[in-house]
Amino acid sequence: MVFTMAVRYGPVWTRRAVLGAAGGAGVAGVLAGCSLFAREQPEPPPDPLAPLLASARALLARYQEAIADHPDLAERLEPIRQAHAAHAEALEELIGPPATPTSGVWSPPLATPTAGTGNPADVLAALAEVERAGEREARLACLSAPPERTGLLGSITAARATHAEVLTWSD
Amino acid sequence: MVGLRQSTDPTTPQPTGGPSPERPTSGAPAALMEALAAEHAAIFAYGPIGAKLDEDLAEFARDAEAAHRARRDALVLALTADGADPPAAEPSYALPFPVSGTADALRLAVQIEERVAAVWRAALRAGAGVTGAGALVGLVDAAVRATTWRRSAGITPATVPFPGDPCPPPPI
Repeated sequence: MVFTMAVRYGPVWTRRAVLGAAGGAGVAGVLAGCSLFAREQPEPPPDPLAPLLASARALLARYQEAIADHPDLAERLEPIRQAHAAHAEALEELIGPPATPTSGVWSPPLATPTAGTGNPADVLAALAEVERAGEREARLACLSAPPERTGLLGSITAARATHAEVLTWSD
Repeated sequence: MVGLRQSTDPTTPQPTGGPSPERPTSGAPAALMEALAAEHAAIFAYGPIGAKLDEDLAEFARDAEAAHRARRDALVLALTADGADPPAAEPSYALPFPVSGTADALRLAVQIEERVAAVWRAALRAGAGVTGAGALVGLVDAAVRATTWRRSAGITPATVPFPGDPCPPPPI
């Protein structure tokens, strides 16, 4: 008897229960989704200059590598290494440190041999090519930046151009 | 600080004529007028500079002077198109120090290009669009020429970390 009643009315109660439970779960799911989304929302978009900061750090690393591999080039390369360090510091002061390290992500737009390989002339030529690519990147960043940032970006563009120049000198 | 405006700055050529015409004191036009004044002064200075250099360096000085003339002409056109009345060069400028030999000529050339880089950097902050692109070219080209002159003058390092920045951060 109990069994029969259960069979007769079971689906009715079961459907309500299921619908109620499903509704509750749906709301809970939506709330959970909102909550999850809300936690991600405060993450600010990366600053437009984040790639330039990454490239300054990547250039700094290239010079550190080149100086370590070719101590005879240190006198020539050290002022440029210092310039890239100063650029990275100035950019980080301007935009703040990146949320996640990006220094290892950036690579020069042009395929160039690793700075630490080859004879000194090849190393200088490779670095000059990287500087020219870096100059183009900084130039684009400068021309699309708000006025208060153009002074620093213009100086970084000009500095990279002068680096490419001195790296091509034959002495 | 340079060029047509009367100034006490001893490091750059100053006009030797009468008072300078009134110029805007702020915003893009003022910064561009400063750039024009610096280009006028640079063109003048490369005369005595080139006269004291040997043939290779004199040729570079002539190329530099031609670049400054081109930059000046482009700027005059842009200012005129904007309805401004860009002043002509002064008849003569007082050099910041006598140019009596190669060393003086190279030192003055470095100063001239550093000054031009600085005024274009300032104009870059005040400009936009085509003017901004021209200002960036002016800054970059002057910085590269200053680097070449430093090398000729035996100044090491030949580069500076922030070309055109009158108040660069201290070295790291």
